[in-house]
Amino acid sequence: VAGGKGGVGKTFLSANLGVVLARAGRRVVAVDTDLEGANLHTWLGVPHPSASLSDYVAGREPDLTRLALETPVPGLRLVAATHSHLATPQPDAERRVELLLALRRLPCDYVVVDCGAGAHAATVDYFLSGDESLIVMHPEPTSVENAYGFLRAAFFRCMEVAMRKDEVRARVREAMDQRNTRGIRTPGDLLREVEAMDPEEGRRFVETMRRFAPRIVVNEVESAEDVKLGFQVRLVCRRFFGVEADYLGYVNRDDAVREAVLARRPLLDVRPQSDAAIYVRRIARKLLEGGR
Amino acid sequence: MKNAFEPDLYELLEIERDASPTELERAYRITRAAWADDSLATYSLFGEDDAAAVRERLDRAYEVLSDPERRARYDASLGGPPPAPDEGVPAPELVERPVAPAQVEPEITGFEGFEDSDDDPYDGARLRRARMRHGIGIDRIAEVTKINPTYLRFLEEEQFDDLPAAVYVRGFVTAYARCVGLDPARVVPPFMERLRAAREPEPGGRPERR
Repeated sequence: VAGGKGGVGKTFLSANLGVVLARAGRRVVAVDTDLEGANLHTWLGVPHPSASLSDYVAGREPDLTRLALETPVPGLRLVAATHSHLATPQPDAERRVELLLALRRLPCDYVVVDCGAGAHAATVDYFLSGDESLIVMHPEPTSVENAYGFLRAAFFRCMEVAMRKDEVRARVREAMDQRNTRGIRTPGDLLREVEAMDPEEGRRFVETMRRFAPRIVVNEVESAEDVKLGFQVRLVCRRFFGVEADYLGYVNRDDAVREAVLARRPLLDVRPQSDAAIYVRRIARKLLEGGR
Repeated sequence: MKNAFEPDLYELLEIERDASPTELERAYRITRAAWADDSLATYSLFGEDDAAAVRERLDRAYEVLSDPERRARYDASLGGPPPAPDEGVPAPELVERPVAPAQVEPEITGFEGFEDSDDDPYDGARLRRARMRHGIGIDRIAEVTKINPTYLRFLEEEQFDDLPAAVYVRGFVTAYARCVGLDPARVVPPFMERLRAAREPEPGGRPERR
Protein backbone atom coordinates (compact mmCIF):
# COMPACT_ATOMS: atom_id res chain seq x y z
CA VAL A 1 0.00 0.00 0.00
CA ALA A 2 1.71 3.16 -1.21
CA GLY A 3 0.65 6.66 -2.11
CA GLY A 4 3.50 9.05 -2.73
CA LYS A 5 2.23 11.75 -0.42
CA GLY A 6 2.21 11.51 3.36
CA GLY A 7 -0.98 11.55 5.36
CA VAL A 8 -3.29 10.19 2.68
CA GLY A 9 -4.28 7.09 4.63
CA LYS A 10 -1.78 4.40 3.63
CA THR A 11 -1.25 3.25 7.18
CA PHE A 12 -4.91 3.55 8.06
CA LEU A 13 -5.81 1.36 5.11
CA SER A 14 -2.99 -1.16 5.67
CA ALA A 15 -3.91 -1.61 9.31
CA ASN A 16 -7.60 -1.99 8.77
CA LEU A 17 -7.30 -4.19 5.68
CA GLY A 18 -5.13 -6.42 7.84
CA VAL A 19 -7.84 -6.50 10.50
CA VAL A 20 -10.59 -7.35 8.02
CA LEU A 21 -8.55 -10.13 6.45
CA ALA A 22 -7.71 -11.58 9.87
CA ARG A 23 -11.35 -11.38 10.95
CA ALA A 24 -12.21 -13.29 7.78
CA GLY A 25 -10.11 -16.14 9.13
CA ARG A 26 -6.91 -15.50 7.20
CA ARG A 27 -3.47 -15.52 8.79
CA VAL A 28 -2.14 -12.04 8.19
CA VAL A 29 1.12 -10.24 8.83
CA ALA A 30 1.10 -6.47 8.55
CA VAL A 31 4.54 -5.05 7.83
CA ASP A 32 5.52 -1.47 8.46
CA THR A 33 8.24 -0.50 6.00
CA ASP A 34 8.09 3.17 6.89
CA LEU A 35 11.35 3.10 8.84
CA GLU A 36 11.46 6.86 9.12
CA GLY A 37 7.91 7.41 10.23
CA ALA A 38 6.57 4.22 11.74
CA ASN A 39 2.90 4.36 12.73
CA LEU A 40 1.36 1.03 11.88
CA HIS A 41 1.79 -0.30 15.43
CA THR A 42 -0.31 2.56 16.80
CA TRP A 43 -3.17 1.92 14.36
CA LEU A 44 -3.11 -1.72 15.43
CA GLY A 45 -3.03 -1.14 19.18
CA VAL A 46 0.55 -2.29 19.83
CA PRO A 47 1.91 0.62 21.88
CA HIS A 48 5.56 -0.40 22.33
CA PRO A 49 6.70 -3.00 19.82
CA SER A 50 9.52 -5.10 21.25
CA ALA A 51 11.02 -5.86 17.84
CA SER A 52 11.33 -4.00 14.57
CA LEU A 53 12.01 -4.48 10.90
CA SER A 54 15.15 -2.42 11.45
CA ASP A 55 16.55 -5.36 13.41
CA TYR A 56 16.33 -7.34 10.20
CA VAL A 57 17.63 -4.52 8.01
CA ALA A 58 20.63 -4.01 10.32
CA GLY A 59 21.31 -7.74 10.42
CA ARG A 60 20.61 -8.06 14.15
CA GLU A 61 17.87 -10.58 13.53
CA PRO A 62 18.21 -12.89 10.52
CA ASP A 63 14.77 -14.45 10.90
CA LEU A 64 11.94 -12.13 9.86
CA THR A 65 9.34 -14.50 11.32
CA ARG A 66 10.67 -13.82 14.81
CA LEU A 67 9.96 -10.13 14.40
CA ALA A 68 6.25 -10.70 13.82
CA LEU A 69 4.54 -9.67 17.05
CA GLU A 70 1.11 -10.60 18.28
CA THR A 71 -1.51 -7.85 18.06
CA PRO A 72 -4.81 -7.51 19.93
CA VAL A 73 -6.46 -8.91 16.80
CA PRO A 74 -6.39 -12.72 16.64
CA GLY A 75 -4.75 -13.97 13.46
CA LEU A 76 -3.02 -10.66 12.78
CA ARG A 77 0.66 -10.19 13.51
CA LEU A 78 2.78 -7.13 13.08
CA VAL A 79 6.31 -6.42 11.95
CA ALA A 80 6.79 -2.92 13.33
CA ALA A 81 9.30 -0.32 12.17
CA THR A 82 10.15 1.49 15.37
CA HIS A 83 13.63 2.37 16.72
CA SER A 84 15.13 2.50 13.29
CA HIS A 85 18.68 3.48 12.37
CA LEU A 86 17.82 6.88 10.95
CA ALA A 87 21.14 7.37 9.19
CA THR A 88 20.50 4.38 6.89
CA PRO A 89 16.84 3.60 7.35
CA GLN A 90 16.18 1.56 4.22
CA PRO A 91 18.08 -1.61 3.30
CA ASP A 92 20.49 -1.44 0.36
CA ALA A 93 19.47 -3.10 -2.89
CA GLU A 94 20.92 -6.49 -1.99
CA ARG A 95 19.38 -6.63 1.46
CA ARG A 96 16.11 -5.45 -0.04
CA VAL A 97 15.93 -8.47 -2.31
CA GLU A 98 16.45 -10.70 0.72
CA LEU A 99 13.74 -8.85 2.59
CA LEU A 100 11.28 -9.18 -0.29
CA LEU A 101 11.95 -12.91 -0.46
CA ALA A 102 11.62 -13.24 3.31
CA LEU A 103 8.26 -11.44 3.15
CA ARG A 104 7.09 -14.00 0.62
CA ARG A 105 8.17 -16.82 2.93
CA LEU A 106 6.35 -15.56 6.02
CA PRO A 107 4.09 -18.35 7.27
CA CYS A 108 0.73 -16.70 6.60
CA ASP A 109 -1.96 -16.19 3.95
CA TYR A 110 -1.58 -12.44 3.44
CA VAL A 111 1.20 -9.95 3.95
CA VAL A 112 0.05 -6.33 4.00
CA VAL A 113 2.99 -4.02 3.39
CA ASP A 114 2.58 -0.44 4.48
CA CYS A 115 4.88 1.85 2.49
CA GLY A 116 6.19 5.19 3.61
CA ALA A 117 5.64 8.48 1.80
CA GLY A 118 7.81 9.50 -1.12
CA ALA A 119 9.17 7.46 -4.01
CA HIS A 120 12.37 6.11 -2.50
CA ALA A 121 13.78 3.18 -4.49
CA ALA A 122 13.05 0.84 -1.58
CA THR A 123 9.45 2.04 -1.30
CA VAL A 124 8.93 1.55 -5.02
CA ASP A 125 10.36 -1.99 -4.77
CA TYR A 126 8.02 -2.90 -1.93
CA PHE A 127 5.14 -1.56 -3.98
CA LEU A 128 6.13 -3.54 -7.07
CA SER A 129 6.77 -6.78 -5.22
CA GLY A 130 3.15 -7.27 -4.17
CA ASP A 131 0.59 -9.43 -5.91
CA GLU A 132 -1.63 -6.38 -5.53
CA SER A 133 -0.27 -2.85 -5.61
CA LEU A 134 -2.55 -0.32 -3.98
CA ILE A 135 -2.07 3.39 -4.48
CA VAL A 136 -3.92 5.62 -2.04
CA MET A 137 -4.74 9.24 -2.75
CA HIS A 138 -6.77 12.11 -1.38
CA PRO A 139 -9.07 14.05 -3.68
CA GLU A 140 -6.62 16.96 -3.51
CA PRO A 141 -4.22 18.32 -6.15
CA THR A 142 -1.10 17.73 -4.04
CA SER A 143 -1.96 14.12 -3.40
CA VAL A 144 -2.93 13.34 -6.99
CA GLU A 145 0.27 14.97 -8.19
CA ASN A 146 2.41 12.84 -5.88
CA ALA A 147 0.47 9.72 -6.75
CA TYR A 148 1.29 10.22 -10.44
CA GLY A 149 4.89 10.93 -9.51
CA PHE A 150 4.99 7.69 -7.58
CA LEU A 151 3.35 5.69 -10.36
CA ARG A 152 5.80 7.15 -12.83
CA ALA A 153 8.75 6.16 -10.66
CA ALA A 154 7.26 2.70 -10.15
CA PHE A 155 6.64 2.27 -13.85
CA PHE A 156 10.17 3.12 -14.87
CA ARG A 157 11.63 1.03 -12.07
CA CYS A 158 9.49 -1.90 -13.17
CA MET A 159 10.85 -1.50 -16.72
CA GLU A 160 14.44 -1.15 -15.58
CA VAL A 161 14.16 -4.49 -13.80
CA ALA A 162 12.39 -6.16 -16.74
CA MET A 163 14.86 -5.09 -19.42
CA ARG A 164 17.80 -7.42 -20.01
CA LYS A 165 20.26 -5.43 -22.09
CA ASP A 166 22.49 -2.99 -20.30
CA GLU A 167 22.11 -0.23 -22.86
CA VAL A 168 18.31 -0.48 -22.74
CA ARG A 169 18.36 -0.36 -18.95
CA ALA A 170 20.58 2.68 -19.15
CA ARG A 171 18.05 4.35 -21.44
CA VAL A 172 15.25 3.56 -18.98
CA ARG A 173 17.27 5.06 -16.14
CA GLU A 174 17.83 8.14 -18.26
CA ALA A 175 14.08 8.45 -18.79
CA MET A 176 13.50 8.40 -15.02
CA ASP A 177 15.00 11.85 -14.90
CA GLN A 178 12.00 13.99 -15.75
CA ARG A 179 14.28 16.58 -17.32
CA ASN A 180 16.09 14.11 -19.51
CA THR A 181 17.53 15.64 -22.66
CA ARG A 182 16.02 13.05 -25.00
CA GLY A 183 12.54 14.43 -24.50
CA ILE A 184 11.17 11.18 -23.08
CA ARG A 185 8.08 12.30 -21.23
CA THR A 186 5.73 9.36 -21.29
CA PRO A 187 6.06 5.59 -21.26
CA GLY A 188 4.94 5.79 -24.90
CA ASP A 189 8.00 7.88 -25.76
CA LEU A 190 10.21 5.41 -23.95
CA LEU A 191 8.63 2.45 -25.68
CA ARG A 192 9.41 3.96 -29.08
CA GLU A 193 13.02 4.47 -28.04
CA VAL A 194 13.33 0.92 -26.73
CA GLU A 195 11.72 -0.55 -29.85
CA ALA A 196 14.16 1.34 -32.00
CA MET A 197 17.08 -0.01 -29.95
CA ASP A 198 15.94 -3.62 -29.83
CA PRO A 199 12.60 -5.07 -30.99
CA GLU A 200 12.90 -8.02 -28.60
CA GLU A 201 13.23 -5.68 -25.62
CA GLY A 202 10.34 -3.68 -27.07
CA ARG A 203 8.10 -6.73 -26.88
CA ARG A 204 9.25 -7.37 -23.32
CA PHE A 205 8.44 -3.75 -22.53
CA VAL A 206 4.87 -4.10 -23.78
CA GLU A 207 4.47 -7.39 -21.92
CA THR A 208 5.69 -5.81 -18.67
CA MET A 209 3.46 -2.81 -19.21
CA ARG A 210 0.45 -5.13 -19.29
CA ARG A 211 1.39 -6.64 -15.96
CA PHE A 212 1.87 -3.28 -14.30
CA ALA A 213 -1.59 -2.88 -12.81
CA PRO A 214 -1.82 -0.55 -9.82
CA ARG A 215 -5.14 -0.38 -7.98
CA ILE A 216 -6.43 3.03 -7.01
CA VAL A 217 -8.04 3.87 -3.69
CA VAL A 218 -9.40 7.38 -3.13
CA ASN A 219 -9.50 8.10 0.58
CA GLU A 220 -11.55 10.69 2.46
CA VAL A 221 -14.03 11.34 -0.32
CA GLU A 222 -16.67 13.93 0.52
CA SER A 223 -18.65 14.30 -2.67
CA ALA A 224 -19.80 12.43 -5.74
CA GLU A 225 -17.14 14.34 -7.68
CA ASP A 226 -14.45 12.95 -5.37
CA VAL A 227 -15.71 9.45 -6.12
CA LYS A 228 -15.33 10.10 -9.85
CA LEU A 229 -11.69 11.09 -9.42
CA GLY A 230 -10.72 7.42 -9.38
CA PHE A 231 -12.22 6.92 -12.84
CA GLN A 232 -10.47 9.98 -14.17
CA VAL A 233 -7.11 8.90 -12.80
CA ARG A 234 -7.64 5.49 -14.35
CA LEU A 235 -8.39 7.18 -17.64
CA VAL A 236 -5.26 9.28 -17.45
CA CYS A 237 -3.17 6.23 -16.59
CA ARG A 238 -4.47 4.50 -19.68
CA ARG A 239 -4.04 7.43 -22.03
CA PHE A 240 -0.92 9.00 -20.66
CA PHE A 241 0.99 6.06 -19.19
CA GLY A 242 -0.54 3.33 -21.32
CA VAL A 243 -1.13 1.55 -18.04
CA GLU A 244 -4.23 -0.38 -17.05
CA ALA A 245 -4.87 0.82 -13.52
CA ASP A 246 -7.90 -0.45 -11.67
CA TYR A 247 -10.21 1.68 -9.55
CA LEU A 248 -10.42 -0.53 -6.51
CA GLY A 249 -12.56 1.73 -4.37
CA TYR A 250 -12.92 4.72 -2.12
CA VAL A 251 -13.37 5.49 1.55
CA ASN A 252 -15.66 8.19 2.81
CA ARG A 253 -14.37 10.95 5.02
CA ASP A 254 -15.48 9.91 8.47
CA ASP A 255 -14.80 11.28 11.96
CA ALA A 256 -14.77 7.71 13.23
CA VAL A 257 -11.27 7.33 11.75
CA ARG A 258 -9.96 10.12 13.94
CA GLU A 259 -11.71 8.60 16.90
CA ALA A 260 -9.96 5.30 16.23
CA VAL A 261 -6.50 6.79 15.92
CA LEU A 262 -6.99 8.80 19.11
CA ALA A 263 -8.00 5.57 20.82
CA ARG A 264 -4.90 3.95 19.19
CA ARG A 265 -6.97 1.00 18.07
CA PRO A 266 -8.16 -0.34 14.71
CA LEU A 267 -11.19 1.44 13.30
CA LEU A 268 -12.73 -1.95 12.61
CA ASP A 269 -12.76 -2.59 16.38
CA VAL A 270 -13.63 0.88 17.64
CA ARG A 271 -16.38 1.68 15.15
CA PRO A 272 -17.16 -1.43 13.12
CA GLN A 273 -20.43 0.01 11.79
CA SER A 274 -18.97 3.36 10.78
CA ASP A 275 -19.05 4.44 7.19
CA ALA A 276 -15.28 4.22 6.76
CA ALA A 277 -15.22 0.71 8.26
CA ILE A 278 -17.89 -0.41 5.83
CA TYR A 279 -15.89 0.95 2.90
CA VAL A 280 -12.70 -0.75 4.08
CA ARG A 281 -14.56 -4.06 4.31
CA ARG A 282 -15.75 -3.53 0.79
CA ILE A 283 -12.25 -2.95 -0.51
CA ALA A 284 -11.08 -6.08 1.34
CA ARG A 285 -13.93 -8.07 -0.17
CA LYS A 286 -12.93 -6.99 -3.65
CA LEU A 287 -9.34 -7.99 -2.97
CA LEU A 288 -10.41 -11.38 -1.65
CA GLU A 289 -12.65 -12.02 -4.61
CA GLY A 290 -9.67 -11.33 -6.81
CA GLY A 291 -11.68 -9.91 -9.69
CA ARG A 292 -11.12 -6.59 -11.38
CA MET B 1 -1.90 -2.53 -36.49
CA LYS B 2 -3.43 -0.50 -33.73
CA ASN B 3 -1.17 1.70 -31.69
CA ALA B 4 -1.95 1.64 -27.96
CA PHE B 5 -1.16 5.33 -27.76
CA GLU B 6 -3.35 6.49 -30.61
CA PRO B 7 -6.93 5.68 -29.69
CA ASP B 8 -9.83 5.76 -32.10
CA LEU B 9 -12.82 7.93 -31.29
CA TYR B 10 -14.50 5.20 -29.26
CA GLU B 11 -11.39 4.50 -27.24
CA LEU B 12 -10.91 8.18 -26.71
CA LEU B 13 -14.28 8.30 -24.98
CA GLU B 14 -13.78 4.92 -23.32
CA ILE B 15 -16.88 3.33 -24.81
CA GLU B 16 -17.69 0.21 -26.80
CA ARG B 17 -18.40 0.33 -30.50
CA ASP B 18 -22.09 -0.38 -29.86
CA ALA B 19 -22.51 2.23 -27.11
CA SER B 20 -25.98 3.77 -26.93
CA PRO B 21 -26.51 7.55 -27.12
CA THR B 22 -26.99 7.62 -23.32
CA GLU B 23 -23.71 5.81 -22.76
CA LEU B 24 -21.99 8.12 -25.19
CA GLU B 25 -23.37 11.16 -23.40
CA ARG B 26 -22.26 9.89 -19.98
CA ALA B 27 -18.80 8.94 -21.21
CA TYR B 28 -18.36 12.32 -22.85
CA ARG B 29 -19.29 14.13 -19.63
CA ILE B 30 -16.87 12.10 -17.52
CA THR B 31 -13.89 12.27 -19.87
CA ARG B 32 -14.50 15.97 -20.53
CA ALA B 33 -14.46 16.61 -16.78
CA ALA B 34 -11.14 14.76 -16.46
CA TRP B 35 -9.53 17.30 -18.76
CA ALA B 36 -11.35 20.37 -17.51
CA ASP B 37 -9.25 23.39 -16.52
CA ASP B 38 -9.51 22.74 -12.80
CA SER B 39 -9.45 18.94 -13.03
CA LEU B 40 -7.68 17.19 -10.17
CA ALA B 41 -6.91 14.23 -12.36
CA THR B 42 -4.89 16.01 -15.01
CA TYR B 43 -3.70 19.41 -13.89
CA SER B 44 -0.30 18.23 -12.64
CA LEU B 45 0.45 16.23 -15.78
CA PHE B 46 -0.68 18.49 -18.56
CA GLY B 47 -0.20 22.13 -19.34
CA GLU B 48 -3.27 24.14 -20.23
CA ASP B 49 -2.47 23.84 -23.92
CA ASP B 50 -2.20 20.05 -23.73
CA ALA B 51 -5.46 19.79 -21.84
CA ALA B 52 -7.17 22.09 -24.33
CA ALA B 53 -5.92 19.93 -27.19
CA VAL B 54 -7.33 16.81 -25.57
CA ARG B 55 -10.65 18.56 -24.92
CA GLU B 56 -10.79 19.50 -28.56
CA ARG B 57 -10.26 15.90 -29.60
CA LEU B 58 -12.96 14.77 -27.19
CA ASP B 59 -15.36 17.36 -28.53
CA ARG B 60 -14.68 16.26 -32.08
CA ALA B 61 -15.16 12.60 -31.13
CA TYR B 62 -18.45 13.42 -29.48
CA GLU B 63 -19.55 15.53 -32.41
CA VAL B 64 -18.98 12.67 -34.83
CA LEU B 65 -20.39 9.88 -32.68
CA SER B 66 -23.49 11.74 -31.57
CA ASP B 67 -24.54 12.25 -35.18
CA PRO B 68 -25.94 8.93 -36.48
CA GLU B 69 -24.96 9.63 -40.09
CA ARG B 70 -21.43 10.74 -39.34
CA ARG B 71 -21.07 7.89 -36.87
CA ALA B 72 -22.09 5.35 -39.52
CA ARG B 73 -19.55 6.82 -41.94
CA TYR B 74 -16.88 6.75 -39.26
CA ASP B 75 -17.69 3.13 -38.35
CA ALA B 76 -17.35 2.18 -41.99
CA SER B 77 -13.94 3.88 -42.14
CA LEU B 78 -12.79 1.85 -39.12
CA GLY B 79 -13.65 -1.42 -40.79
CA GLY B 80 -14.09 -4.40 -38.50
CA PRO B 81 -17.50 -5.63 -37.39
CA PRO B 82 -20.53 -3.74 -38.68
CA PRO B 83 -22.27 -1.44 -36.21
CA ALA B 84 -25.11 -2.85 -34.15
CA PRO B 85 -28.52 -2.51 -35.79
CA ASP B 86 -30.28 0.71 -34.98
CA GLU B 87 -33.00 0.17 -32.42
CA GLY B 88 -34.98 3.00 -33.89
CA VAL B 89 -37.61 3.24 -31.17
CA PRO B 90 -37.12 5.69 -28.34
CA ALA B 91 -36.38 4.19 -24.91
CA PRO B 92 -39.59 2.96 -23.29
CA GLU B 93 -38.41 4.15 -19.85
CA LEU B 94 -40.25 7.42 -20.16
CA VAL B 95 -43.58 5.66 -20.28
CA GLU B 96 -42.87 3.01 -17.67
CA ARG B 97 -41.38 5.23 -15.02
CA PRO B 98 -43.46 5.73 -11.89
CA VAL B 99 -44.75 9.15 -11.00
CA ALA B 100 -42.03 11.50 -9.73
CA PRO B 101 -39.71 11.42 -7.97
CA ALA B 102 -38.06 8.57 -9.80
CA GLN B 103 -34.55 7.23 -9.70
CA VAL B 104 -31.95 9.71 -10.84
CA GLU B 105 -29.89 8.54 -13.80
CA PRO B 106 -26.63 7.29 -12.21
CA GLU B 107 -23.52 9.14 -13.37
CA ILE B 108 -21.36 6.15 -12.54
CA THR B 109 -22.10 2.68 -13.84
CA GLY B 110 -20.18 -0.56 -13.93
CA PHE B 111 -18.43 0.05 -10.63
CA GLU B 112 -18.63 -3.36 -8.99
CA GLY B 113 -18.28 -4.52 -5.44
CA PHE B 114 -19.42 -1.43 -3.57
CA GLU B 115 -23.06 -2.39 -3.17
CA ASP B 116 -24.42 -2.41 0.37
CA SER B 117 -25.32 -5.76 1.88
CA ASP B 118 -28.38 -6.61 3.94
CA ASP B 119 -26.30 -6.58 7.14
CA ASP B 120 -25.50 -2.90 6.79
CA PRO B 121 -27.85 -0.69 8.76
CA TYR B 122 -30.44 1.37 6.89
CA ASP B 123 -29.22 4.69 8.18
CA GLY B 124 -28.28 8.10 6.84
CA ALA B 125 -24.82 6.91 5.92
CA ARG B 126 -26.34 4.20 3.78
CA LEU B 127 -28.31 6.74 1.81
CA ARG B 128 -25.14 8.68 1.21
CA ARG B 129 -23.20 5.57 0.23
CA ALA B 130 -25.80 4.71 -2.37
CA ARG B 131 -25.69 8.26 -3.68
CA MET B 132 -21.90 8.31 -3.88
CA ARG B 133 -21.76 4.95 -5.61
CA HIS B 134 -23.96 6.37 -8.34
CA GLY B 135 -21.89 9.54 -8.52
CA ILE B 136 -24.89 11.73 -7.81
CA GLY B 137 -24.49 15.09 -6.07
CA ILE B 138 -26.83 16.31 -3.31
CA ASP B 139 -27.91 19.16 -5.56
CA ARG B 140 -29.10 16.76 -8.22
CA ILE B 141 -31.32 14.97 -5.69
CA ALA B 142 -32.61 18.30 -4.43
CA GLU B 143 -33.46 19.25 -8.00
CA VAL B 144 -35.44 16.07 -8.63
CA THR B 145 -37.18 15.81 -5.25
CA LYS B 146 -37.63 19.55 -4.68
CA ILE B 147 -36.36 18.97 -1.15
CA ASN B 148 -34.05 21.56 0.33
CA PRO B 149 -30.46 20.26 0.03
CA THR B 150 -29.83 21.21 3.64
CA TYR B 151 -32.50 18.74 4.75
CA LEU B 152 -31.00 16.08 2.49
CA ARG B 153 -27.68 16.58 4.24
CA PHE B 154 -29.40 16.36 7.62
CA LEU B 155 -30.83 13.01 6.52
CA GLU B 156 -27.38 11.72 5.59
CA GLU B 157 -25.83 13.03 8.78
CA GLU B 158 -28.82 11.95 10.85
CA GLN B 159 -29.09 15.37 12.41
CA PHE B 160 -32.54 14.47 13.64
CA ASP B 161 -32.89 17.58 15.79
CA ASP B 162 -32.63 19.80 12.74
CA LEU B 163 -35.19 17.92 10.67
CA PRO B 164 -38.91 18.76 10.66
CA ALA B 165 -41.77 16.59 11.96
CA ALA B 166 -41.61 12.85 11.34
CA VAL B 167 -44.30 12.91 8.68
CA TYR B 168 -42.15 15.19 6.52
CA VAL B 169 -39.02 13.18 7.16
CA ARG B 170 -40.84 10.07 5.99
CA GLY B 171 -41.54 11.81 2.70
CA PHE B 172 -37.94 12.99 2.39
CA VAL B 173 -36.49 9.53 3.00
CA THR B 174 -38.93 7.92 0.59
CA ALA B 175 -38.02 10.34 -2.18
CA TYR B 176 -34.28 10.16 -1.49
CA ALA B 177 -34.29 6.35 -1.44
CA ARG B 178 -36.02 6.21 -4.84
CA CYS B 179 -33.53 8.65 -6.32
CA VAL B 180 -30.57 6.44 -5.48
CA GLY B 181 -32.22 3.18 -6.49
CA LEU B 182 -33.08 1.92 -2.99
CA ASP B 183 -36.42 0.36 -2.12
CA PRO B 184 -38.31 2.77 0.17
CA ALA B 185 -40.16 -0.15 1.77
CA ARG B 186 -36.85 -1.42 3.13
CA VAL B 187 -35.26 1.91 3.93
CA VAL B 188 -38.04 3.96 5.48
CA PRO B 189 -39.19 1.83 8.46
CA PRO B 190 -35.71 1.32 10.00
CA PHE B 191 -34.79 4.92 9.30
CA MET B 192 -37.96 6.21 10.98
CA GLU B 193 -37.20 3.92 13.91
CA ARG B 194 -33.79 5.56 14.27
CA LEU B 195 -35.44 8.96 14.19
CA ARG B 196 -37.98 7.97 16.81
CA ALA B 197 -35.29 6.50 19.08
CA ALA B 198 -33.17 9.62 18.77
CA ARG B 199 -36.06 11.94 19.58
CA GLU B 200 -37.61 9.88 22.33
CA PRO B 201 -35.57 11.11 25.29
CA GLU B 202 -36.69 14.67 24.64
CA PRO B 203 -39.10 15.71 27.36
CA GLY B 204 -42.50 17.09 26.35
CA GLY B 205 -42.93 14.71 23.41
CA ARG B 206 -42.85 17.44 20.79
CA PRO B 207 -40.25 16.33 18.33
CA GLU B 208 -40.35 19.38 16.06
CA ARG B 209 -37.95 22.17 16.73
CA ARG B 210 -39.94 24.98 15.19
